[in-house]
Amino acid sequence: MSLLTLDNVTIRFGGLTAVDTLNLEVKQGEILALIGPNGAGKSTVFNLITGIYKPTEGAITFDGKPLGGIPTHKIAEQGITRTFQTIRLFSELSVLDNVKIGAHCRGTAGLFKALTRLPSMKREETDLEEKSIKALEFLDLVAKQNEMAKNLSYGEQRRLEIARALVSKPKILLLDEPAAGMNPQEKVILMEMIRRIRDTGITIFLVEHDMKLVMTISERIAVLDYGKKIAEGTPLEVRSDQAVIEAYLGSGKFKSRIRR
Amino acid sequence: MKKLLSNWITQALLFLIVLGLTAYVSQVINDVLPPYVLTIGLFIGINLIMALGLNLITGVTGQLSIGHAAFMSIGAYASAIATVNYHIPFLLGVLIGGLVAGFVGIIIGFPTLRLTGDYLAIATLGFAEIVRVVFTNLKITNGAIGFLGIEGSTTFPIVMTIAVLTVCAMVWLENSRNGRAMLAIREDEVASSAVGINTTLYKIQAFAIGSVCAGVGGALFAHTTTFIQPTDFGFLKSVDILSIVVLGGLGSIPGTIIGAIVLTAAPEVLRPLANYRMMVYGILLIVIMIFRPYGLMGGVNLRQAVRRALMWPRKKQAGRGE
Amino acid sequence: MNNLMQQLINGLALGSIYALIALGYTMVYGIIGMINFAYGEIYMFGAYSGLVLALSNYVNVYVALLGATLITMVLGVVIERIAYKPLRRSSRLSALISAIGVSIFLSSLMVRLKGPNTRGFPKLFENKIFQIGSFQITIYQIVIIGVAGLLMLGLHLFINYSKTGRAMRACSQDQDAAKLMGVNVDRVVSITFAIGSGLAGAAGVLAGIYFNAVQPYMGLMAGLKAFAAAVLGGIGSVPGAMIGGLMIGMAEILGVTVNLSQYKDAFAFTILILVLLFKPSGIMGRKVNKKV
Repeated sequence: MSLLTLDNVTIRFGGLTAVDTLNLEVKQGEILALIGPNGAGKSTVFNLITGIYKPTEGAITFDGKPLGGIPTHKIAEQGITRTFQTIRLFSELSVLDNVKIGAHCRGTAGLFKALTRLPSMKREETDLEEKSIKALEFLDLVAKQNEMAKNLSYGEQRRLEIARALVSKPKILLLDEPAAGMNPQEKVILMEMIRRIRDTGITIFLVEHDMKLVMTISERIAVLDYGKKIAEGTPLEVRSDQAVIEAYLGSGKFKSRIRR
Repeated sequence: MKKLLSNWITQALLFLIVLGLTAYVSQVINDVLPPYVLTIGLFIGINLIMALGLNLITGVTGQLSIGHAAFMSIGAYASAIATVNYHIPFLLGVLIGGLVAGFVGIIIGFPTLRLTGDYLAIATLGFAEIVRVVFTNLKITNGAIGFLGIEGSTTFPIVMTIAVLTVCAMVWLENSRNGRAMLAIREDEVASSAVGINTTLYKIQAFAIGSVCAGVGGALFAHTTTFIQPTDFGFLKSVDILSIVVLGGLGSIPGTIIGAIVLTAAPEVLRPLANYRMMVYGILLIVIMIFRPYGLMGGVNLRQAVRRALMWPRKKQAGRGE
Repeated sequence: MNNLMQQLINGLALGSIYALIALGYTMVYGIIGMINFAYGEIYMFGAYSGLVLALSNYVNVYVALLGATLITMVLGVVIERIAYKPLRRSSRLSALISAIGVSIFLSSLMVRLKGPNTRGFPKLFENKIFQIGSFQITIYQIVIIGVAGLLMLGLHLFINYSKTGRAMRACSQDQDAAKLMGVNVDRVVSITFAIGSGLAGAAGVLAGIYFNAVQPYMGLMAGLKAFAAAVLGGIGSVPGAMIGGLMIGMAEILGVTVNLSQYKDAFAFTILILVLLFKPSGIMGRKVNKKV
């Protein structure tokens, strides 16, 4: 069953077509990876899904509902959360606060409740604290809950970003190069973590450069080059696809990668 | 559920008691201290209220606003016009001053909060100058000559009570969903959007609340000095308030309190240096930014520090228990 | 029509002064991405330097101009080293607050040094009025437009045809790449500040002559208006700053003619806010796409 569908999605920035008639389906409960050479448009796809960019043509549907025109801050509400290529944490805030803010879209307390501290708000706060601690436990960060986010190690920061993205109980989690900067041991832990997340019922859509990780963990892979999808299938199929090999390694003939 | 409700009632009562106590104690102080000292205390309170507002906008939400004095002037004039021209009772006039300032804050907030960093700051300054020019030319404000005949209705207890109220409001706000959203915006707007925070909404909220504080402060100010003119609320005044927030530590409520006390009392205490006040402020801003950008209270979490201080004797007893 | 010509000339003169200051803003912003809030005060310092030099009987207007320019160039470099360089890696908020500190410090310093009152500028040369048809142009105006024009031309040639100018342009495009190409970025930044400050200082002297008034807080207004001019023209663009300055000057003069003179100070700010809201890249600015 398709959870997220990109239907002929195209986006142009002036003369540059960053994503070209992309048709992609992310099935419920799967781990789908998006790969491609640098500049292929992978992060752009994420930005399109989360409403940072609007497609020039085409439509994106999530869980049956069209995403067109929904502003970025309403995307999380729908059940789509993400991590970023360059870690975007709330550095001066505590680890616990970072996660609590992740659940912002699930809260209802407004200005009035904030100033009057009604019992319903207190309940929501206690609830929030519980959920946040659970998310931290899931990612093994409870011990550091009162540390400032900027004091965490790189690997811990990446885990924190994931915890923040999970606490709102999303339907799909977009991971933007989650393994970037990690050493092999951390990558193994990451793969384990991704599987565990999927096992709780969350669909995973990731962009990644580390081929070994992608081949090990993905159930399906889509390949992007110059904004176009050039291959899609199981890791085995994609690995031996001629177009993919050419895109990454070249065809043996000199083909300039300078766009004309 | 019942427990929560009874808890809330207890807390509400406690809050009212604290407020009442403040009023009572400050009244006692009022009768005991010499008027000169009282006036300093009064201005500390007024500056604190306004600085807390700016702290919310700039320290908590990260939107640098250097036109804060404009909202002060709006509150001052609005309340003065209300009490003098329309014979509205003092406290109601103060409320009106705050609300009008907040309203203008929302109107200004909408367009300007789409801007970032430096541009936002300059835009707020531009608005402040526009307000000043307008006030200098309106008939109802009596223009450059100034507004006379305001009643000196502001008293020390009133200012202190409002100040305590404002501090409580700020503390509650910071520890709420709204407050966390504002802090998130300060840290990273893109990530904030990604977790569902409507950044525009919360920026405007911060701006509005901050402006209300400035407006209330301005109203109290007007009814202390009994005479206001547009030049009282220029860029230098905005810098005054900004210095308090920066000195105390952007985003820190205890810091703002300390900053207000220090920077209001110091010019009085250090009378011989009074002429160099603005020079000192200027250097202060530069030095703090370079050496201690988080201000006096920077990086010090008051709650943790107090807890640690209180835990000490107990820790010695725990010993092997760990 | 002739009245329009007259206003044009008046606007040109005023605008030239704003343009000179605006150039400083735009160059510094283009290279290190910060708004040197203190440019207005540097302009004010230039005016006072010119005043002091002019009051000593040995100088004529050219020496006063030159002297003030040199003084402000040094001032600009010193400010950059002390108050901005340490914050180059910090947040923009910090740099801006520091700049505000510099601005406040300079204006209050001048109040201490020379008193808060407005001082007149000594007459350095006779102000003759030339009648051309039905409008007039004064020597003062000719001098201002002339000097400003020469300076802007000089700047244009320097930026586009000299090695340092090329280094400056490189830095404004990509500082790190410029560094890798062997450009001494620190030196370029200092030179940029020096030039911008020198221009502001020259503008200060010209303003002193034209308005026959200097006061310690003249910098705030002029600085804000010049910033509006820089934004209007497209911040980061040198020709933009020139055009923006002229337009702001023109707008102010026209405002006076349509009887809105009391609000003339508010024009620049209104234009600034409108530009920021609707076309933040200004007339000649480049649009930068946000990369997430």
